[in-house]
Amino acid sequence: MILRSNSLRQSLFISAAFVAALLAVNLLFFRSGTVAVVLLSGMYQGMLFFLVASGMSIVFGLLDVLNLAQGAFFMLGAYTGFAVYGALPESVPVEIRFIAALVGATLVGGLLGALTEMGLLRPLYARPVFQIVLTFGLSTAIVEVVRTMYGPAGLVPIARPAALDTTLTIFGGQFETYRLFIIAVGFALMIGISALLQRTRLGIIIRAGVQDSEMVQALGINVRRIFTLVFALGAAVAALGGMTAAPFLGAYPGMGADFLLTAVIVIVIGGMSSYEGTAIASILVGLTRATTEQISLQYFNTPVLASISILVFMVVVLLARPTGLFGRE
Amino acid sequence: MMKLAPARNTGLVNGLLLAALGLIPYLVAAAAGQPDPASAGLARWHTAAESIYCAKGLTPVGVVFMAEAAVLLAAVIAAQWKGEQLGIMGAALRQDGWRLIAVLGLIAVPFVIAWGTGSSACVRGKAFFWESIFIDVFILAILAISYNLMFGFSGIVSFGHAAFFGTGAYGVGLFMHHLAWPWWLAVIATLLLGVLIALIKGVVGLRIKGLYFALFTLALAQVFYLLAGNRLMADITGAEDGFSFGVPDWLNVARNRLFFYYLALAIFVLAFVVVRRLMNSPTGRVLNALRDNENRAQMLGYNIFYFKLIAIVLAGLLAAGAGVLRGLALKGASPEVLSLTFTFDPLLMTIIGGQGTFIGPVVGAFGIHLTEEALRDTVLSLGGVEINIGERWALILGVLFVISVMVFPRGIVGTLAARWQQWQSAPKNAGDDHG
Repeated sequence: MILRSNSLRQSLFISAAFVAALLAVNLLFFRSGTVAVVLLSGMYQGMLFFLVASGMSIVFGLLDVLNLAQGAFFMLGAYTGFAVYGALPESVPVEIRFIAALVGATLVGGLLGALTEMGLLRPLYARPVFQIVLTFGLSTAIVEVVRTMYGPAGLVPIARPAALDTTLTIFGGQFETYRLFIIAVGFALMIGISALLQRTRLGIIIRAGVQDSEMVQALGINVRRIFTLVFALGAAVAALGGMTAAPFLGAYPGMGADFLLTAVIVIVIGGMSSYEGTAIASILVGLTRATTEQISLQYFNTPVLASISILVFMVVVLLARPTGLFGRE
Repeated sequence: MMKLAPARNTGLVNGLLLAALGLIPYLVAAAAGQPDPASAGLARWHTAAESIYCAKGLTPVGVVFMAEAAVLLAAVIAAQWKGEQLGIMGAALRQDGWRLIAVLGLIAVPFVIAWGTGSSACVRGKAFFWESIFIDVFILAILAISYNLMFGFSGIVSFGHAAFFGTGAYGVGLFMHHLAWPWWLAVIATLLLGVLIALIKGVVGLRIKGLYFALFTLALAQVFYLLAGNRLMADITGAEDGFSFGVPDWLNVARNRLFFYYLALAIFVLAFVVVRRLMNSPTGRVLNALRDNENRAQMLGYNIFYFKLIAIVLAGLLAAGAGVLRGLALKGASPEVLSLTFTFDPLLMTIIGGQGTFIGPVVGAFGIHLTEEALRDTVLSLGGVEINIGERWALILGVLFVISVMVFPRGIVGTLAARWQQWQSAPKNAGDDHG
């Protein structure tokens, strides 16, 4: 136990030092207005990554399945939200339509997640690599179905509620309020899931299952049902994330794939099955991305460093710590 | 039935037999044609032979091939019954006869298609078109064989195979285009580059275990992809559009496609034989052992790092070779060759075909790619909904993938082979309820 908490403290220290270094880079390279915007957009990106990655991380911890369909659930959330939003008549206030879209996306995501787990993954628990392959095939199929139904071009972003459709000025930098809303949603879920894991009976079972699911089964708990529930929960959070991002990004068939790869990077850096690792890593990755993107735009006039930096970040973390920052041996 | 003593050198016998069968028609053609004094070497042979094998429809070379195939088929069937009386030849045919027929069939494909469609194997037409598709299939099959060597035989999961493949295509182009190296130097340098990347991946990455290693290779491949396609590199790699380069005349698919077809086929067969030879060697047994139980292999005293490195390096070499062929065939390279497509395609082909079997990945590559090409323009009517198969191929592949993982747990070849064995051993336990 002491060893574990020591390495945890060390990991936290490394993360804090990394954030401090990023801050220093920011202050060195940019004006104060830009710094604020870069940090906030780093947070906002990090939260979106978290929404896709958190489900992946818990599912991986519990089921040993790397769920590559999580990106497709993210994209489906956006399309479902748009469908719900469009189905409600114009007379309904925008706020209610917006909230209905969020709820609808979450429910459909959860339902699909549950169906996927029960129908497709269950027969394959003994064969880990095949599950990756299966979720990848499933995500390809979902993306293609959406592309067939809605066309390859994206949907135009829906109107945001008026309260969120403003721009803030922070230290002279312009920042859209809606992105703050995304950060808020991300934080709320981060804390909510954490509370679920730490404070509820279900959470205790899930955490015990991550440690040793056979033992939990032996204690007379129906682990299968917990598996389904957790998988559905992960898919629901991803779908909610997709809908949350949709008024900003719109909805297009490839949007899941864009987030999926980064989400994989996040959970690898965080240490695959560690929830707190994923939460911290998503913020680290978001900030890294935003900072390097700004540097890259400023000096090379292309955002390429943003994607490369996080890949390099992951490689470096893996070489220094082969099981990620917060992973167990 | 008398049990046959394990015959040695059957591989050599089969190789010589195949070489003879493949070369005879070509030599006949070369001897019969009038040499063109203006051209030299291979090109002269080619020009000389053209009148024999480039005719439209049924060509003399095609007839020779079909006769050979028929004789070989008869010989293989005979060898199944009377193999032990035919000495080493019979043993060789018993062991590898069906594969020989398959290869001979592939050698004859251009002429068979030319015959069937009344086109010529050497100029634009149906046969010419299918030759290019088969070249793609051979390249994908080499890639799948290479993937299977790591994933199926050695148990090393990698999501970064595109890095090898793309390095092959880009490398040969960059060396020839920017450094103006001759083709052979460019090819050798590119293959060495593939080996170097494999060594780096192995030496640096192998301390990372399991899925983490797979994702580590994925990250490296994505870095390659992003770098190659970036505007900053536009002068070297041509950024998103890629770049094209000139190749020697005899390697030009637009002109000497038939030759390129045989080149790709030969390298594909070579890759198959090399991997099979490796896996039947003591080294291969160790690789199998560490796939099945890494800890046990280590306990037995094998240096698992060293053996894994062998698998990765050979896989890297083969995949880079496939990439070189792809670059030469397209006379260019674009970021697509480094994209996830060329990681997941060989993965799918290996898993659908049967990982850990020799012909599984080959069956996967041929099956998937040929089906895609054959159905490209087909429109399927399903309850009023019209589905254009070519446009929706990704959807079909995704569904196919899900189904095959569920229905064929060991891939098509692996599952069918298991059924076959079950069926064969059935009469022995006839009293058994499961029989």
